[in-house]
Amino acid sequence: MSINQILPFFSTVIMLGFTIYVLQRYVVRRAPHFLFWGIGLAFFGAGSFAEAYLSLGWNRWVFFVWYLFGAALNAAWIGHGTLLLLFRKPWVKVVTAILVVGSLFAAYLMLQAMPKLDESAFTTSKPVSEQYGTKVLEPGQTPPAGAKTETTTYRGQQVTVVRGLLPLGSPVRLTTPFFNIYGLLTLVGGAIWSAYLFWRKRVLPNRVLGNVLIAAGALLIGSASTLTRLGYGQFLYLGELACAILMFAGFRLAARPQPEEVPQVATAAAD
Amino acid sequence: MAERTHTTSKSHAPKDSVLFEKVIPALLIFMGVLMAVLILFAAGVLLGIIHF
Repeated sequence: MSINQILPFFSTVIMLGFTIYVLQRYVVRRAPHFLFWGIGLAFFGAGSFAEAYLSLGWNRWVFFVWYLFGAALNAAWIGHGTLLLLFRKPWVKVVTAILVVGSLFAAYLMLQAMPKLDESAFTTSKPVSEQYGTKVLEPGQTPPAGAKTETTTYRGQQVTVVRGLLPLGSPVRLTTPFFNIYGLLTLVGGAIWSAYLFWRKRVLPNRVLGNVLIAAGALLIGSASTLTRLGYGQFLYLGELACAILMFAGFRLAARPQPEEVPQVATAAAD
Repeated sequence: MAERTHTTSKSHAPKDSVLFEKVIPALLIFMGVLMAVLILFAAGVLLGIIHF
């Protein structure tokens, strides 16, 4: 078992602890942003576990979990929690509805793709992130070492493709960039914005640092995932683990009560 | 009469701190730029400009 096969299990354990920590806060406070963070973190943990599993062997439903929760939905749900925290406006409810319906639609599209998976393209020798999609080879482009290619007809044209698990043109793949753009904007943008607000007012330094760590963790996994899809998958598992550690540390730091927050008792006249 | 409990925060960022005066703003700008690059990348994939 290589270090790259062990790291995702550590990430899963950290994300499990993080998820429980956040959902406990939801149970106590009933604030919806904790619920969305908790669900998004659970998605992240499920995706990490699925990735770890798929580095050891194949299971189509584990792949379903990896793609839907790990590759598509988790950042959007965590980021939506941040949106709920920052904006208490009626339009946020509309966005919530779009996110939920969009997620169910993505799950439906993924279920539609399941019977068409090309399981013979799977190998444990590289991360699932590098082999999930069938890619068209442009003229003059050489396939990556060890890649399985074939010639097929796509949109009326003969094309050479590098075979992947999901067939060429799977509709579910079109949904992923929407979720990831939304997730990046709300999760990273929200953390940067929050850190900036506290930094500008020179107050609550723990929240400045906490939000910087959250943004850094999310950017780390975003960058590692992008590099993986460009063929540099060796950083992915380390990036995932660093992301889990940074985000959990950032959340705990931001949520830490200030030593100078002194409870005061005020009296108010009863109506 | 009813009693109400609230807190007041007196916590401030340390003055003359290199971390808060130099490192944090630089990090925020860097992360904002990186976020924009990643979003443009994802948008490029969505629009079919970038293939992978």
